[in-house]
Amino acid sequence: MKINMECSQSNIELVIIEKNITNHNNQKSTSLMFTKRSLIRSITCILKKLHAGYFRISLSFGGQALLWKTLIDPTNDTSKSRHVLSMLPSSVFIVLWSMSLFILALLSLLYLLRCLFFFKMVKEEFLHHVGVNYLFAPWISWFLLLQSAPFIAPKTITYLILWWVFTVPVVVLDVKIYGQWFTKGKRSFLTTVANPTSHLSVIGNLIGAQAAAEMGWKESAVCLFSLGMVHYLVLFVTLYQRLSGGDRLPALLRPVFFLFFAAPGVASLAWESIVGDFDTLSKMLFFLSLFLFMSLVCRPALFKRSMRRFNVAWWAYSFPVTVLAMASTNYAQQVKGTVSHILMLILLALSVLVSFSLTLFTLLNSKMLLPDNDPIASILIV
Amino acid sequence: MENHITLEIIEQASPPETPSLIKYISSNELEDFDEFDSEFPSPISKESEETYNHQRKPSISVSMPLCYKETQLQSLNNNNNKNVSFSGENVIIRDDLASGIAMSEPPRQSKFKSQPMPKGVAFQQDGSQTRKANRNHNQPGIKMFRDKRFDSFKTWSGGGLERQLSILRGKEPIGNAQDGNNATRSFDRALPVDRYFDALEGPELETLKSSEEIMLPHDKQWPFLLRFPVSSFGICLGVSSQAILWKTLATSPTTEFLHITPKINLILWYISAVLIATIFAVYILKLLFYFEAVRREYYHPIRVNFFFAPWIALLFLALGVPPSVTKNLHQSLWYILMAPILFLELKIYGQWMSGGQRRLSKVANPSNHLSVVGNFVGALLGASMGLIEGPIFFFAVGLAHYTVLFVTLYQRLPTNATLPKELHPVFFLFVAAPSVASMAWAKIQGSFDYGSRIAYFIALFLYFSLAVRINFFRGFKFSLAWWAYTFPMTGAAIATIRYSNQVPNIVTKSLCIALALISTFTVIALLLSTILHAFVFRDLFPNDIAIAISDRKRKPHKHWLFRYGSQDSKEIENYLKFVNTDESSLDDSTPQPSSNDTDHNLPK
Repeated sequence: MKINMECSQSNIELVIIEKNITNHNNQKSTSLMFTKRSLIRSITCILKKLHAGYFRISLSFGGQALLWKTLIDPTNDTSKSRHVLSMLPSSVFIVLWSMSLFILALLSLLYLLRCLFFFKMVKEEFLHHVGVNYLFAPWISWFLLLQSAPFIAPKTITYLILWWVFTVPVVVLDVKIYGQWFTKGKRSFLTTVANPTSHLSVIGNLIGAQAAAEMGWKESAVCLFSLGMVHYLVLFVTLYQRLSGGDRLPALLRPVFFLFFAAPGVASLAWESIVGDFDTLSKMLFFLSLFLFMSLVCRPALFKRSMRRFNVAWWAYSFPVTVLAMASTNYAQQVKGTVSHILMLILLALSVLVSFSLTLFTLLNSKMLLPDNDPIASILIV
Repeated sequence: MENHITLEIIEQASPPETPSLIKYISSNELEDFDEFDSEFPSPISKESEETYNHQRKPSISVSMPLCYKETQLQSLNNNNNKNVSFSGENVIIRDDLASGIAMSEPPRQSKFKSQPMPKGVAFQQDGSQTRKANRNHNQPGIKMFRDKRFDSFKTWSGGGLERQLSILRGKEPIGNAQDGNNATRSFDRALPVDRYFDALEGPELETLKSSEEIMLPHDKQWPFLLRFPVSSFGICLGVSSQAILWKTLATSPTTEFLHITPKINLILWYISAVLIATIFAVYILKLLFYFEAVRREYYHPIRVNFFFAPWIALLFLALGVPPSVTKNLHQSLWYILMAPILFLELKIYGQWMSGGQRRLSKVANPSNHLSVVGNFVGALLGASMGLIEGPIFFFAVGLAHYTVLFVTLYQRLPTNATLPKELHPVFFLFVAAPSVASMAWAKIQGSFDYGSRIAYFIALFLYFSLAVRINFFRGFKFSLAWWAYTFPMTGAAIATIRYSNQVPNIVTKSLCIALALISTFTVIALLLSTILHAFVFRDLFPNDIAIAISDRKRKPHKHWLFRYGSQDSKEIENYLKFVNTDESSLDDSTPQPSSNDTDHNLPK
């Protein structure tokens, strides 16, 4: 409401200015000022509506990019299907990666501006039990892009610096949020704030661990991994118990239930990077992720309400499925056999399908992306 | 006024009946008067009284030609909600009912004159279905005649299946044309889990609270199939785990000094195979004939876990198969046995995670261990067969959910309604999961390594902390489910034997023998009490009250006020539960108004 009013006020302001200007016979500057004003106005509107949840889009694209990189990279999986997949042109991958980079950069920039100009709104997000978890999402996306970057090899100095740049905020957020879980007062108890999006904090740690392991920094990798896993354990138990009853989550946000199986999937990948091999623990985490995925897929009624109208929460479907597909790829590589490869192919197809349809839906429903029908904003998005 | 009409009609239309029957009926009616609720003085009671007093011809009518008049009668009754309406007492010679509305039927059913008889059902508009039980007391449970009181639970006549089949076929279900109430409500939709908690009490949620009433008569012995609970599969678990124990004793290197003959295993195995086959057969009969009862058991928060028991028993059979019968089992057998467990798990764990009212913090109870142990037993069997990936899958899933369950049960949350306050044999289930997990992990890894030892020591600790509290296990009513609680002890014994194979010394060996002896003695003691209860007390299969609870409490309004005004935190929590039930209940599929998205204004 407030946003609307402000926008309409500026409308009025604009009209007045326009009237004043038309008194001077300068058509060109009028139109220029008009576009400049409207641009500023629309950007302001976007900044007001753009919350951290929009980083789901960059998460999905980053996940896809990493998936394709895994497929294209040389591997010792000698099966036919993998061979076929690795023949995909790397140009497609580069295009995909650049697109992800662009989207992420844009979103980051916009969010940065939002922090600068509308810090109060960011603070509100931070204090909300769902919003705070999405503050991890930008860093996770950056980690994904870093790992899938075609031109930054893991053991270079650039990688190292970037790793530090991304890890520090994650750890800071960790300390703040996890510390709150067990020290702070009533409203921050884990039992009251726990919800499926809390998995994002766990995923943040695990992705950092994976990136560190790629670099060869085993100790930090294990440190971040244990941090993530311990809190995952606590979170898993709490969420299964569902102490607070009812739903802490509005029905529109049900797609975030998919994060339930994203966390063990990322854990499986991270452990594999640390150990070097898809060993029993990775397998167990992968199987857990697979089971939770099957369990959610068998309950379509859970998601019905949120599927009525397009909204940005739909993007929550893509990243977890992509992670699962990546884990299944590694699993198939370890356990050579038809069943595992069939599983890999199914999950790959699903992941691509989901990401592609989401992109399509977004483009078709670009007006609904920022839920306030500002026509100029929608032009900017597309 | 209506009474006179009724009498008239009935007198006119009474068919020739055998006198002995009539007398029996009349005498039965009188006995049941005391059951009637004084709040609703029924026309029937008066009328039956008159019948009895006047020694008149039977107040029985076979309703065929009657229906038309009765329609009018019943529509009269309909207008007055407080009146009990009925369609006379009917003695049905051949139960051909297609009405399927056994429980509570609107009188309008009489419009279906083509049906031989409407059921003698009376119901209150405000939903108390206990009327039915009372009314049906007028219908004698004579063995020659089918007892219609249980038809509501039957699958084919009077149960929901026929009605549902006709719904599927596209027709209006018979008798449900304008039925928007109780029958549909209680049988098309599951009883919400709160009803079970409200109506039942006791460590196994078996005993009815005094304020509750049940839908079936509690003075008569119900048909055997209705009395056969799913927890009878516990016997299979107990006996087949004994078979495995004696097989392990006979074949393990550390216990060879005992010279146990493999014949014991053979005998026990055959006994358990026969038992499993029998109990399976009986339960399948129950499924076929009394589907509603099975359904209600499925929605019972404790009995649902026993649905895993048949499959676990089959897994035990495969584990305990004597070497003389077969050495190697085919791998596809494992997949076949694990498929039902997988399906059940997907359903039940999914309910824990996202089901509306059946969330874990509310329904957690020690019997939930049965749903988790199946994973570990499957992993053990698969690993013994030589499979690798499948066992790891089930082990992972089982471990994750076991952690959740273990923490929840240890917490003994105040919102948890089902944990028995005092110790009860069900607590022994705590020992089951870690002991089987240790064995499974040992098989997967190839040796009894650290992971297995950790799990084994946890199991041992739990065993001892329960065993020293043996005094607190007194004073509980024997039930068939106790058989299920013996298999953890046997499991602990088998795990000890495996551990002693790895670490053979005097302590472990004596522990083996001690635990094996304890478990054998427990099973023998249980066998003796089962025999005692079966043949001497004859109450091995009491009326299964837990499945017959009614759909609604008798006085919902008072209950509400009580909850609203109470300061008890539990009541407040209950109040919140009610508030929350307004939101969509995902799993119970109750047709409730969909929720307001409470966080609309969130910028998401």
